[in-house]
Amino acid sequence: MLPIFLPLLTAIFLFLNKKIFNELVTNFFTLNSALLSFAISFFAFVTFALDKFKPISITLYQWTRTPDITIGFTLDGLSGVMLLLVTGLSFVIQLFSTSYMEKDEKHSNYFVYFNFFVFSMLLLVMSSNFLVMFFGWELVGLSSYLLISFWSQKPAAAKAGNKAFVINRIGDFGFLIGLMIVLNTFNTFDFYTVMQNSTNVSENTITTISLFLLLGAFGKSAQFPLFSWLPDAMEGPTPASALIHAATMVTAGVFMLVRISPMLQHSVTASIVIISFGLLTALIAAFSAMNQYDIKKVLAYSTISQLGFMFIAIGAGAYVAAIFHLVTHAFFKALLFLGAGAVIHSMHHEQDMRKMGGLRKRMPITAGMMGIGTLAISGIPPLAGFWSKDEILASVFAKAGMANELVFSIMYYLFWSLTLGAALLTAFYMGRHWLLIFEKDNGIDHSEVQEAPKAMTRPLILLGIFSIFIGFINTPFFHGLEKVLHETLENVEVTHLPEGIALVVLAVLSIGAGFTGLIIAFLIFGFELHKRINLEKFKLESPINLVKDLSSNVLYLNKFGNVFFVSGMKNFSRKVAVIVDGLIIDGSVNFISSAFGKTSRVTSATQTGLVRNYVVYFGLFLILLISLFIFTPLVAQ
Amino acid sequence: MLEVTTDWYLTLAAILFSIGFFGMMIRKNALIMFMCIELMLNAVNLTFIAASKHFGQIDGQIAVFFVLVVAAAEVVVGLAIIVSIFRKQSSASVDVLNVSRG
Repeated sequence: MLPIFLPLLTAIFLFLNKKIFNELVTNFFTLNSALLSFAISFFAFVTFALDKFKPISITLYQWTRTPDITIGFTLDGLSGVMLLLVTGLSFVIQLFSTSYMEKDEKHSNYFVYFNFFVFSMLLLVMSSNFLVMFFGWELVGLSSYLLISFWSQKPAAAKAGNKAFVINRIGDFGFLIGLMIVLNTFNTFDFYTVMQNSTNVSENTITTISLFLLLGAFGKSAQFPLFSWLPDAMEGPTPASALIHAATMVTAGVFMLVRISPMLQHSVTASIVIISFGLLTALIAAFSAMNQYDIKKVLAYSTISQLGFMFIAIGAGAYVAAIFHLVTHAFFKALLFLGAGAVIHSMHHEQDMRKMGGLRKRMPITAGMMGIGTLAISGIPPLAGFWSKDEILASVFAKAGMANELVFSIMYYLFWSLTLGAALLTAFYMGRHWLLIFEKDNGIDHSEVQEAPKAMTRPLILLGIFSIFIGFINTPFFHGLEKVLHETLENVEVTHLPEGIALVVLAVLSIGAGFTGLIIAFLIFGFELHKRINLEKFKLESPINLVKDLSSNVLYLNKFGNVFFVSGMKNFSRKVAVIVDGLIIDGSVNFISSAFGKTSRVTSATQTGLVRNYVVYFGLFLILLISLFIFTPLVAQ
Repeated sequence: MLEVTTDWYLTLAAILFSIGFFGMMIRKNALIMFMCIELMLNAVNLTFIAASKHFGQIDGQIAVFFVLVVAAAEVVVGLAIIVSIFRKQSSASVDVLNVSRG
């Protein structure tokens, strides 16, 4: 309980005292609160683990009995893992932020928003029902909006915040409809009850619910076609990007899908939709990351791509692998983002990678740690990314073997090979990223650049160590995470890894993909192969330029979206404004008021103010009354 | 010798009422209109008494007393209003008093 509300209390406390506290006091309170929050979470998790991972539930308040709506929290394997991840990373990243946000005029605001975000995220992951999760879901969106447009004096930041909010709203709309159908079908919001009863409901209903909830997950986790907000969200402060747009918030969709996995597994349609959209996202984002020059945008596309991998895992029924990749990705992506933050800080807020290069000698610690992050995300053993990515690839392969019909089998093999391709692209663009920043000589003098301060390098080293070792929590030899999640996924048919020689072959292939990507990146950006051989001899100039153009413009998806949806919507709403608002609504209001005006003008003419006229009316009505008295009985008879 | 029946009284009352009513409609001197109201009231009184005599019941005559009392009170208030109107505009014509025109 306490770790959830501690960040909220801190946020309120800092907000109320923001005029009194200077930076040091603010840092003191926020760091200690984050550390305390993590410590309590850790002990709660240990207690829970010693109790053989039996879920603990707390109901705070029973709102109504029928339908059964409560405000409650639950600690099971899934939320426990997320609890540790969120509180732990929030501490490390806040430590980094104290240095990164130093002397920013809105320093205390930043930590208020930050703590508020942590609270929202904990609310989301710890909830025991859909309703509290929805609260967390919306609050996370709000705090992310606040953090993206933190430097709101920059028009781009304000715009990016709006974009993120609006696109998330599309997803939330689907999520909300999904919740309504859930309440209508199951008469409760409680996860456990819904999952228990999901076997009694027809597959069509499950598919409908899943697809609507999926729309929410697509929005929050930046999946195709709702992903364009995430690269723009990089306008926010880099540590906030590390926490929100890499490690925690964007994984909320993945978390939610795993949470509803006992229901999700009954819908074949939903699974295929998830895997195909995940794959599409992974490929598009990886492709787009190849030719970006903004140090953070590469990481943003990489995040989208990695989220795509998690969705692929969910679609393949490998829920443990999805959470596993979520955890490892959180560590190495936070590491990469914080590393990028350190570089940006040292380069005095320069984000263009073309103006970097050769920074390795100037910033050895940052370079080394980002190197670890790059290797981890590329899937080089024994670093974290290898274990989780390999598990996803192997699961998709295993799913292909499990399929009943040949068509499905071929489809999954196709998915597997494309996923492998996305893994190769990942290694390539991450290698390029590292080489462009730290290795390639651009002839720019960087002798003034200094290593980042200790408050920045320490979190980097910590995350670096985690990025190396976190992968060992769930390997083919030691199923740690699977045991933790066992209770949550009790009735779920989890896709298991293939055994024996097949697993080794798959692992070799995935390592091969990683190395190939890195080697290609090295050949082009380190060794500069294209300058050493004459390209024109192969007539490759125009296809390469085409690929570069498509990649830097994200396959023109944003433009497509602008033309079809934004301007279409603008035209439509302009017409709506004229027809519905102008003619129907304004028209009816004007008609009513003018009708009253006209009738009152007619009737007021009878009010002459002359007593004699009133006497006449009086007499006329008297006659009418008398005639009624006289004639009514006759008529009645 | 003609016998004076109840009808005669009722006819007389109707004639008196009509005179009063038409007087109200066509005259604009407030005093005359006031007299017309009195005329109508008395026409009603006459009806009450005639009916009381006809049915041999005392109720009608009691009602007449009420009407007389109310009429007397009304005259007091009404005349006071007319006097104050006259003081203000030095005429008792009601047509000038059209402030309530719509």
